[in-house]
Amino acid sequence: MTADHQDFPGTPLSEKDFEQGNVLFRHDEMRGQYAWDTGIAIGRYLQALREGVILGAYCRHCRKTVVPPRSVCEWCFRPMHEFVPLQDTGTVNTFSLCYVTWDVKRIQEPEIPAVIEIDGASPLHGIMHKLGEVNPQDVHIGMRVQAAWKEPEERQGAITDILYFKPIEE
Amino acid sequence: MKTPDKYPHVPTAWQDSLPVTSRYTVGLAGERFFRSIKDEGRIMGTYCPECDRTYVPAAIFCERCMSKLDQWVDVGTTGEIHTFTLLYTNYDGTPREDPEAIVLVKFGDGGLIHRLAEVDLEKVSIGMEVEAVFKPAAERQGSILDISHFRPLKE
Repeated sequence: MTADHQDFPGTPLSEKDFEQGNVLFRHDEMRGQYAWDTGIAIGRYLQALREGVILGAYCRHCRKTVVPPRSVCEWCFRPMHEFVPLQDTGTVNTFSLCYVTWDVKRIQEPEIPAVIEIDGASPLHGIMHKLGEVNPQDVHIGMRVQAAWKEPEERQGAITDILYFKPIEE
Repeated sequence: MKTPDKYPHVPTAWQDSLPVTSRYTVGLAGERFFRSIKDEGRIMGTYCPECDRTYVPAAIFCERCMSKLDQWVDVGTTGEIHTFTLLYTNYDGTPREDPEAIVLVKFGDGGLIHRLAEVDLEKVSIGMEVEAVFKPAAERQGSILDISHFRPLKE
């Protein structure tokens, strides 16, 4: 539809117009502070990450292990049986080569977000993270990877305590 | 259920902040409205002949009949208080001893919201005539705060 229009209404502005003071404008910054209640399961998950462990939750009725852990089983709605430590290795389920940052800046070296099926969890259960120490052209579905952790004293109980996942030879 | 309800050493909340910034451009009418304040110390409105209404702050179109407005009028720098309130709380939520008076001053068929100062707060009333006090021309930046405040019109 837009192909039919050559001239759009409005006044196009460039960054120059702001720098040179051609237009009046206001800059503002919202105070976007928040506190998100982690709940029982994610709270324990973050605590385990600080200890260098990826934690899952096991439902004995469904015989399923999910990651990140949850306190209630998504399939049978019963309480989870227990939290279980998983391996810090896994398999790339899907990935993307991303040439823009989260705040939409172009980058030359791509970031590689990926869903990684964690060893010890049920098949197709995994977490989203980044890949590193890898040639972007070599990334493929089914690739075996392992977590690269921050130094123990630098971990703060966050998903970023894992820096990225890197390929492993097996 | 073996799952414990609580882990006393586990933090219960994730604290962070969202980096939200904005850049607001004042628009075609706002551009002329604020530059008139900045460069000439004048408050301008736009007039709609169809609806016989004067918009202050100036608008580029009539919100009643959607006509494009191009008749600019100087509405002067004095007007009467349409309504007012006394603020006993600062913007950060702390209480303040001396209230700040915020007024809606009528200009044309609209008006400006601004501070009222140089006044005995006991005597503020609806209908009171007030005048705009502009900052020195060198300090003006093309903002509504180029008007420092309003004060009662000296008789």
